Amino acid sequence: MFADLNIYTHRHYDSDKLLFKKFTDLTGIKINVIKGGADQLIQRLISEGENSPADVLLTVDAGRLERAKSLELLKPVYSDILIKNIPINMRDYDNHWFGLTVRARVIVYSKERVNKNELSTYEDLANPKWKGRIVARSSNNIYNQSLMASIINANGSDSALDWAKAVRANMARKPRGNDRDQARAVASGIADLAIINTYYLGLLENSTDSKDRKVAKKLGVFFPNQNNRGTHINVSGGAVTASSKNVEQAIRFLEFLTNEENQKVFSGVNYEYPLRFKHIDSKTLLSWGSFKTDSINLSILGKNNAKAVKLFDIANWE
Amino acid sequence: MFRFNSWDFLSIVTSLIIFIPIFIIITNFNAESENWSHIKENLLFDYISSTLFLVVGVGLTSTIIGVGCAWFVSCYEFYGRKFIEWILILPMTIPTYVAAFSYYDIIENFNSFFIWCRNHIGLNQTMNIENIIVHLVVIILFSFVLYPYVFLSVRASLMIQGRRTIEAANTLGIPTNKLLRKVIIPIIRPAIIAGVSLVVMETLNDYAAVEYFGISTLTVGIFRSWFGMYDVESALKLSSYLIMLVFLILMFEKMYRKGARYNNDGGKSNLRRIIIGNKKQYLIIIFCLTPFIFGFLIPLVRLFTWMITSHVNIYELNLIKTVFNTIYISIISSFTIVFLAYFINFSKNYFNNDVCKKISQLAILGYSMPGAIIAIGILKFSSAINDLVSIVLIGSIFGLIFSYIVRFFAVAWQPIDSSMEKFCKNINQASRTLNVKPLKLMKNINFPILSKPVMIAGLIVFIDISKELPLTLIIRPFNFDTLATLTYDLVNQAQFFQSAIPSLLIILISIPAILIIKTQMDKSI
Repeated sequence: MFADLNIYTHRHYDSDKLLFKKFTDLTGIKINVIKGGADQLIQRLISEGENSPADVLLTVDAGRLERAKSLELLKPVYSDILIKNIPINMRDYDNHWFGLTVRARVIVYSKERVNKNELSTYEDLANPKWKGRIVARSSNNIYNQSLMASIINANGSDSALDWAKAVRANMARKPRGNDRDQARAVASGIADLAIINTYYLGLLENSTDSKDRKVAKKLGVFFPNQNNRGTHINVSGGAVTASSKNVEQAIRFLEFLTNEENQKVFSGVNYEYPLRFKHIDSKTLLSWGSFKTDSINLSILGKNNAKAVKLFDIANWE
Repeated sequence: MFRFNSWDFLSIVTSLIIFIPIFIIITNFNAESENWSHIKENLLFDYISSTLFLVVGVGLTSTIIGVGCAWFVSCYEFYGRKFIEWILILPMTIPTYVAAFSYYDIIENFNSFFIWCRNHIGLNQTMNIENIIVHLVVIILFSFVLYPYVFLSVRASLMIQGRRTIEAANTLGIPTNKLLRKVIIPIIRPAIIAGVSLVVMETLNDYAAVEYFGISTLTVGIFRSWFGMYDVESALKLSSYLIMLVFLILMFEKMYRKGARYNNDGGKSNLRRIIIGNKKQYLIIIFCLTPFIFGFLIPLVRLFTWMITSHVNIYELNLIKTVFNTIYISIISSFTIVFLAYFINFSKNYFNNDVCKKISQLAILGYSMPGAIIAIGILKFSSAINDLVSIVLIGSIFGLIFSYIVRFFAVAWQPIDSSMEKFCKNINQASRTLNVKPLKLMKNINFPILSKPVMIAGLIVFIDISKELPLTLIIRPFNFDTLATLTYDLVNQAQFFQSAIPSLLIILISIPAILIIKTQMDKSI
């Protein structure tokens, strides 16, 4: 009947399989999945060119989605449902890509050693009062690059470079490990603050490992910049590939993922936020409270990505 | 001299095809790159110095462990020797990235020390100290899982070449332990170099482990340029530095091996082992058990514990399919690689064609390059084919098998090449003058003689492929995970404990293969 839909995704969740099956039951369209690292998938699309069998790209970070767009790997598609379900800053203004889940990059702090009142903004992390008290992961990682991209946008390149230099100088150690390791470093006393994505905290709080849960108990979560532009957010998202021959089905698939019920499953499994905060039903996420989000269009994260990487290198943030 | 026949022709064409991706990489070194000056100014020095530090460190440490264990196990008699001989090779089943993930929190043991340092000597000095400690920890970690290459190589050498010399010296009244420095080491030096070369290749190839611990090697730089900055040209330029390094190492290795003549002694070793007192036995046992414990036992136990606490339903991860994929692609690829290596070696050996000899050497270059670089070459090759005939090479099983051939051809080539030289050269030359048909010779005479080296070659390739990560991450087809890629993806998605399951399965699959290799090698000593 319908051709199969070929999906390139970075996600490895069992609940995704169930969602895909639900889509197949609903529409009769079979889904083939290739999983890969987010960057590898884009390299793959580049090499495959117009003969690529991929129809949909599911990947993480708006910076990456914007990159894919600039490399002409994506096709603009028009859908009232997508426009209705996805806030305007979480999708490409040109309709090339669409956010599907949301995460915030926040500050977690040691409840013993830091008073919440001492925290305010990302920019404040450059303050010498934090010397030797911050940890963050490598600038290799796109989440940091996107945060940097948002700071470049808010404060300009020169200011952003100074910020990166100062924060690096405030670090308790050279960047290594992932966000979870940063959280553990704060819990163990190596540092007092860490910059991590919200879902890592969710994973720690709900981990089957009691050590992880103990780490989570020692940490408080703080959403920076509430008194100015709002906390930096990012999305995982989807797009229809330029090479796709099944555009209609691909659009239906993306619409399916933005439906309220499916949103809960798609985002909840990894403790990410759904597109509309009113759809949150995870106790963990609700416990962190609501917060103001930076409303810049996330395409900007991609546009500033290359600059962000270079500035990080110059600032010696490894 | 230029008489070609179908065998030579096929061998030459096959070798050239295998060489093409490497050729593409080499010819792209001077491509224009927007980020290159930025990289050169800010990052290149760190990449090179970290890489060198790691390589030298791992090389030295794995030599000490490998040579020490091989020496003790070959020349001394102690309680549990036979058992220890076996367990010493088990760390070979653990890929470097699994070792790293299983020791992910090892640096935290130094936390109190770092905090003390910070309070007493300041933040900057502490960071330098921490940097060095992280490097040292990774060096030791790598050495504990890579030393078996040195161990096996040196042990074989001691049992074959060393034996005669030791026996001769013994009969002249010189005890074995006095021979070590002046006589034994020079004899086993080629074996040490051969083993260490493999260790160094594996170290350079690693991406996941060094990236996790924050060590910026050239390989990390390559991934970062290529995937992070979408700058293939810079990635290629960095690859050129890496290849130069590898080239130097290989030259060094060839130089040292030039003088080595391997005598085909045959027969079991009757080396009289030295009997030693209990105290010395304890020390030796501790020395030999340490790499086993840290390189195999501890990672295994940790992974096992995580598997149990993660409460994961094995069906959730599509494990059965992934295991099947891993085994089936490893078997098909290793069969193909071994067959090609055998066929081309035989053609070269029988027909003695100079062109064939030289061109077949090109095909073994793939092993000297990290999987990540091979992937670039294959992707570009695939794009070129795509432009010509609209077939997508990448994304098929065939593409993945081809990639493995390019990368691991040398692994099968070396043992088959040296065994064929050793055992079949004379008979092949004689048969040629008697006009024996090559096909008959290859099947009915050579193969029975060489069945063991061929099998060992196949098993080693099998293990290498089932562990392979960077290349597979980039080239894999639809719906195709191997245990290695699944491990990596799970860790990347913060599903850390679940990654223990595919990690354990990689180890489980490799164990029988390693044990067979050991049995076969022992029989020929």
